[in-house]
Amino acid sequence: MAIEKILKDDASEEKGERARMASFVGAIAITDLVKTTLGPKGMDKILQSTGRGHEVTVTNDGATILKSLHIDNPAAKVLIDISKVQDDEVGDGTTSVVVLAGELLREAEKLVAAKIHPVTIISVYNNVCLFYRLRMASECARNALLQRVVDNKENAGYAFILYYLPNVLGFDKEHFAQLAVDAVMRLKGSTNLEAIQIIKKPGGSLKDSFLDEGFILDKKIGLGQPKRIENAKILVANTAMDTDKVKIYGARVRVDSMSKVAEIEGAEKEKMREKVKKIMAHGINCFVNRQLIYNFPEELFADASILAIEHADFDGIERLALVTGGEIASTFDNPESVKLGHCKLIEEIMIGEDKLIHFSGVEMGQACTVVLRGASHHVLDEAERSLHDALCVLSQTVNDTRVLLGGGWPEMVMAKEVDELARKTPGKKSHAIEAFSRALVAIPTIIADNAGLDSADLVAQLRAEHHKEGCNAGIDVISGSVGDMAELGIAESFKVKQAVLLSAIEAAEMILRVDEIITCAPRKREDRM
Amino acid sequence: MAAVTAAQPRSSKTESYVDNKRKEDIRQANIKAARAVADAVRTSLGPKGMDKMISTANGEVIITNDGATISNKMEVLQPAAKMLVDLSKSQDSAAGDGTTTVVVIASALLKQCLTLLSNGIHPTVISDSLHKASIKAVDVLTAMAVPLELSDRESLIKSASTSLNSKVVSQYSTLLAPLAVDSVLSVVDPAKPDMVDLRDIKIVKKLGGTVDDTQLVKGLVFDKKVSHAAGGPTRMENAKIAVIQFQISPPKTDIEQSIVVSDYTQMDRILKEERNYILGMIKKIKATGCNVLLIQKSILRDAVTDLSLHYLAKAKIMVVKDVEREDIEFITKTLNCLPIANIEHFRVEKLGHADLVEEVSLGDGKIVKVTGIKDMGRTTTVLVRGSNQLVLDEAERSLHDALCVVRCLVSKRFLIAGGGAPEIELSRQLGAWSKVLHGMEGYCVRSFAEALEVIPYTLAENAGLNPIAIVTELRNRHAQGEINAGINVRKGQITNILEENVVQPLLVSTSAITLATECVRMILKIDDIVNVR
Repeated sequence: MAIEKILKDDASEEKGERARMASFVGAIAITDLVKTTLGPKGMDKILQSTGRGHEVTVTNDGATILKSLHIDNPAAKVLIDISKVQDDEVGDGTTSVVVLAGELLREAEKLVAAKIHPVTIISVYNNVCLFYRLRMASECARNALLQRVVDNKENAGYAFILYYLPNVLGFDKEHFAQLAVDAVMRLKGSTNLEAIQIIKKPGGSLKDSFLDEGFILDKKIGLGQPKRIENAKILVANTAMDTDKVKIYGARVRVDSMSKVAEIEGAEKEKMREKVKKIMAHGINCFVNRQLIYNFPEELFADASILAIEHADFDGIERLALVTGGEIASTFDNPESVKLGHCKLIEEIMIGEDKLIHFSGVEMGQACTVVLRGASHHVLDEAERSLHDALCVLSQTVNDTRVLLGGGWPEMVMAKEVDELARKTPGKKSHAIEAFSRALVAIPTIIADNAGLDSADLVAQLRAEHHKEGCNAGIDVISGSVGDMAELGIAESFKVKQAVLLSAIEAAEMILRVDEIITCAPRKREDRM
Repeated sequence: MAAVTAAQPRSSKTESYVDNKRKEDIRQANIKAARAVADAVRTSLGPKGMDKMISTANGEVIITNDGATISNKMEVLQPAAKMLVDLSKSQDSAAGDGTTTVVVIASALLKQCLTLLSNGIHPTVISDSLHKASIKAVDVLTAMAVPLELSDRESLIKSASTSLNSKVVSQYSTLLAPLAVDSVLSVVDPAKPDMVDLRDIKIVKKLGGTVDDTQLVKGLVFDKKVSHAAGGPTRMENAKIAVIQFQISPPKTDIEQSIVVSDYTQMDRILKEERNYILGMIKKIKATGCNVLLIQKSILRDAVTDLSLHYLAKAKIMVVKDVEREDIEFITKTLNCLPIANIEHFRVEKLGHADLVEEVSLGDGKIVKVTGIKDMGRTTTVLVRGSNQLVLDEAERSLHDALCVVRCLVSKRFLIAGGGAPEIELSRQLGAWSKVLHGMEGYCVRSFAEALEVIPYTLAENAGLNPIAIVTELRNRHAQGEINAGINVRKGQITNILEENVVQPLLVSTSAITLATECVRMILKIDDIVNVR
């Protein structure tokens, strides 16, 4: 009766209970890894690279942690994927989504152990989710009231960022919130974050970070050229300005005298001069090139008092073209067809020990630069990540201004509703519904734990508060007690919250449905030879 | 972490691997590793601090007492220890001095945190209190500071010598301190009085002589020989200097070229042509009246050939070759001239003028000095001498620190007492403040205050004094209101440190406190080390 192997060597198969267990364990392990980073007082992780250089990253951003992990467990990979999607879609809530999915699975595991079929659990989760969404939308309507409290958008955003910025920025949050809000307000409703440039300069402290209108390029101005230009006309180019090499393989010139060699050299120089003349024919006074500009053309530019910047990187010139309204040119035969960039003033500024070039009064009015300062590279990198998250969310919120209260308020409201639903539902389903509510309450619990508060006590208090109608209570981690979220002005974006809920449930559902894991045999390297 | 364990009543069997013990262990391991770095540098603190000898992987030996250099060369691997190394680096870039101090403070804070953690206080609470305390500390320091005028050269020299006194070259501080002050003041642009770019001060090191021979040169110094293979001039008065970025050698095209020679007469002709070509160039140069050439290094071809050198010598033109491209900006700024990239553009108005360009032999080598430059830019050159490479390097580092100190004073014009006085005063005031605070915060701030006593303690210890006696007496004097009482390491007793002329810029102290707390807070918040790709 022995069936010989169906699968290849090295391929493995796990079935039923074992498969489910494997995916639960994997997903919960990932959740436990990131859950200490949740909330405004979450902890950080050191990511130590095993690759070359043993680089060290200190971070609190869920997506960053998860995407750099070595993972073999398929269920864990699903969670990492939802975190990535969350990052791409809304830019924030990357930890929350994983934690919620993990908590749902943790509860589901217990239900499965109590002999409730996974499909029942899935259908309940889905139903509750639908219900939850409806309620959330209606809560948002109620929040029109909240909108009036924090009447203009700017304040809403401000309070909201305060809650969201992870803790590395610590007490400098107010400063950063102001930075982020100012930057996003400049965008005037567009979600094009490209116009916000972030420059990191070690030294100073986080408080010295500042927002500057215009664009800053971390390059030097050529020798003997003007250091300050008003009403600049800028040509952004990507062209070889070293020597126009004739790149014909093996091309070779045979001559019979030294003076002819000199002539050829002269001709080459002449060609370069031609090129520079063509460039100058655009009527510019600033020339930015992605490639090197050699001494010879540099001097020609200096003679014509044109400011020339060499070796600006790809990112730099693309942004510069964007913000000054120019186009990147690589041929210079038709001056009329090339779009030049414009700005009011170009000058050299000094940040810390370095000199940078500042373009102000640029065509694209919304463009601005955030210069981050901080004690070390770790601090700076983390500050950049946090600021990026904040900017993402803020720009989304500016578009969809619906906000929910923060501090675990939405979870508690929903948990209460779901509990009531459970009481009305007969049969096994009520267990699953209760489980859902427990998973929701886990989020405020973790936030409280991370802040070093007594979560059991706080969550119980919160639950009691929420039994009153129209309650605004949430966890105030700063003072370590239950507070009125509307008064404290702590808010979260509706869009983020919705995305968190939907993707968490989808992921949980996907993992629950699994009853068999087939691991394919790894492809052998020799095959490719 | 009692609250955390209590908060997870719903633990199931899959949760069993979550143990908070590991998190504590990681935090402790991080703190220990970070403190190990600090232990390595702490003996080098203060005027009587010791030096470290570091032998690097490539066999080079460095002797230094600069905290940033030591920690930089240690090649630590543990992530938290690396953060301390970075901390020292950022103090170096922010203030330039106090690189040892910042590491020692961070380590003392971490030590206190360890006790707080073991008392069951949550890391975020400690971190927040630390932040509050550091803000308060900066306020206290600012209140203690004495304002300063840039015209007050005496005070500037005093603070530069405080920095130099803790270095290997301390016996030369009377020479180096005024030198640092003069060089920084000479590059301050009146239009932007609080900006100093240290790149405008060039430090040239030359082996030989002693540190005593170090001098400030109003002009340019090249650590190069004049090319006189063909007997060209080595001294030129009323020099007209050209900085050229082209080469005086036979032509070379970018396309590969070869000259086809079919018979003997042609060869002769080619040689003649080559001579004519070079002669043509030199005539053009001579026509402008130029008599000194500085030639940029080129990787494509020889800057000068023997032949061109010969002609240049005949035309009485002095040649310095192989000038690096990075140096061109400094040179042109100093000489107030423009670089010339092509022989066609060789014009009189692009030349720089100087009274004297000469080759001077120093020790075993020779240098080229350019002095009496007309319309000189705001730059300065310092020629550092030393009897061996190790002393020379250390002298350069010390001078850099002194320059940074003066720069700090230019940008933030406040002085503060040295000798451990600000730290003990901080400790006293924060201690008093902690009594007004409530709950955990008060407890944490008190620990912070205690941690700051590490600076006078280490200062005394390194000077061979009895640290406990000194620190207690210091505390006593401060309690009686002598806020400027500090450790006088020379006399081995407590005196009014301001009267002893031991002063340092406010910026060094404040940035040491803020950077150290920022770093400690970061280490505290880490609860896991994850290995990633």
